[in-house]
Amino acid sequence: MRTTRRHFLALSAGAAAVAAARLDFAPAFAQSAPVRLGVLAAKAGVLAPVGESGLRGVQWATDRINAAGGILGRKIELVIEEESSPKDTVERFRKLALQDKVEVVTGAISTGVGLALGPVAEEMKTIWLAWDATTQKGVEETMPKPKYSFRSTDNECEAVMGSILTARQWKGKFKTVAGINPDYSYGRDNWAAFLAIMKKYGIELSVVSELWPKLGATDFTAHVAALQQAKPDLIFSCFWAGDTPIFMKQAHGAGLTKSTKFVLTTGGGVHESLKKDFTPEGAILGYNCFYFEYARASALAKEFTRWHQEKFKEWPNYESDHGYFTIAAYKAAVERAARAAGGKWPTQDAVIQALEGVEAESLSGPRRYREDHIMEATFFQGVTTHKNKHDFVTIDPVETMTTKQIQKPSGVGLYDWINGWKV
Amino acid sequence: MLFLVAAGLQLVFGVQKILNLACGSFYALGAYTGVSVVTWALGWGLPAPLFVLPLLAGGLALAALGPPLERLLRTIYDRDESFQLLLTFALVLMFEDVIRFVWGPAPVQLRGSYLAYGQVTVVGTTVPVYNLVVMLAGALIAVGMGWVLTRTRFGRIVRATAENREMAAALGVNMHRVYRRVFTLGVVLGTVGGALVIPATAAVSEMAIEVIVEAFAVVVIGGLGSMRGAAVGALIVGLLKAGAIATWPEVEMLAIYLVVIGVLVLRPAGLFARATP
Repeated sequence: MRTTRRHFLALSAGAAAVAAARLDFAPAFAQSAPVRLGVLAAKAGVLAPVGESGLRGVQWATDRINAAGGILGRKIELVIEEESSPKDTVERFRKLALQDKVEVVTGAISTGVGLALGPVAEEMKTIWLAWDATTQKGVEETMPKPKYSFRSTDNECEAVMGSILTARQWKGKFKTVAGINPDYSYGRDNWAAFLAIMKKYGIELSVVSELWPKLGATDFTAHVAALQQAKPDLIFSCFWAGDTPIFMKQAHGAGLTKSTKFVLTTGGGVHESLKKDFTPEGAILGYNCFYFEYARASALAKEFTRWHQEKFKEWPNYESDHGYFTIAAYKAAVERAARAAGGKWPTQDAVIQALEGVEAESLSGPRRYREDHIMEATFFQGVTTHKNKHDFVTIDPVETMTTKQIQKPSGVGLYDWINGWKV
Repeated sequence: MLFLVAAGLQLVFGVQKILNLACGSFYALGAYTGVSVVTWALGWGLPAPLFVLPLLAGGLALAALGPPLERLLRTIYDRDESFQLLLTFALVLMFEDVIRFVWGPAPVQLRGSYLAYGQVTVVGTTVPVYNLVVMLAGALIAVGMGWVLTRTRFGRIVRATAENREMAAALGVNMHRVYRRVFTLGVVLGTVGGALVIPATAAVSEMAIEVIVEAFAVVVIGGLGSMRGAAVGALIVGLLKAGAIATWPEVEMLAIYLVVIGVLVLRPAGLFARATP
């Protein structure tokens, strides 16, 4: 068929009409447009491995959801930005909200960044699902009653669980303790929680050394020397980054691992770096809320672990699960709100309401958001062993506790709550 | 090891008048390369006690970075110091990305070499023999540097250039060549320092920044551009840190900076500064 001029004009007019119609009816098409979802993942410095891990969880969740048709038929489209200093990260949050017009932002690990993001999420009226970044005191000050921010589990959960395990396992077997913890709120809060719980359990102890290297330190020879002098029966540490293997290696080099008991509440975040050469058996080691070799892991967790190992040649850690859960929770909340709204895409307020109390399957079993926007999850800790196929330590037996046991309930102070325990 | 990085910083500043922030990156690169080279060599069946050889070789091989970087810095020799800081800090950030790209974000470490020489107990304290090896190596390098700078023709030229660059040039010294060599030597001091320290620690991408801050404290205490200053400064910082941690851990950082402030107030040029013209 030859295209005549008249024919061409008619076609153009038709095309223009269709284009105009599309513009007119754009809202009706919004259902199938992708859901834009902002991600703030740390990529540099001491936070980089953790940020990377969280991002992997988010990406895996997104790929799965998209392969299964998306959320109510809308595919998820990730807009990935970097978490760095509080100031820059706030700018990027604003950019995600204003320019990229994302419907929800997930991410942020650093406490400082989290404190800055909370008020901004309220101001921008953008839902923010944090991975970590939840020191308690500061959060209570800057986000007293958040509407748009949904927070992770409390900072102290790991210390609380590690302390309970310490009391159960070693009560009466140690007298002197030393703490070596990173010098910021996380380290300080955890050490204080540990001492409070030891007291609650009626364990008489004397603190022989309190060391506060700065976060990201790479040389602990002087600290190890101080510990050698102090000769503690037990060393408590909530190191969570590259500092963990370095400290253990240097402590082992100085012979500290022979007789001293170790409680490493958070070292499981860098579990592959805790090589058998220098990490002793019999230490308490925490993996936050995901343990890659949990015997009773769900099919979902096993599938993720396999994918992670094949793709990155690494065994995954907890931050992937935080990332995964935020996406799964958002999907569950949208679907829950949509059911109430007769199948239509819900309003933002309806999604927020649905997020409160929403439960979703995460890689470590069911998790939920409490009505006060705090996450509930299961934590994994245990006693280190060398009996495995890896070159690093794992834990056996694996103990699990839920946030019902190790996280203060809504509206109660941490120490009031601990003092109220029956032990 | 702080001494080596500080010495590299001193040498480059003394001669080229460039405040090279990237010295911390050389340290990090040396550490990461050390891990890769030694792991590879052990994989080929190298007996474990010989691991220091590939470790040092890796550090020395990174000397290849010296000439091209020196060529880049040549563009700002005559500019304001702020340009030097900007450019060398940019290098720090770029190297951090390169490291993350090549080695990934997770900490990287050497397997099993830290205790390859066993441990010894000195006055009731157990110390890995490797720590002593590193101390010895540091002392040897310090002595070697001293010898090169005071006893060889190259050292004389370097010192002459440091004293008076125009005069040295007028006397027929090839400035470009001296600069290239000095800068490369500065690079190697950093990379060898990083390589030597890695069996005792783990390589993390932020180690560059950490070592720069301490190296600067060392340099300020010792005096900019002075080799002896670098050695004494490193010793002071190391002992202060250890002493503070053993007695009152809260003041670890404070103690170092109090000394820095003290030196700046009482002897602004540093303990071993050359007489300024």
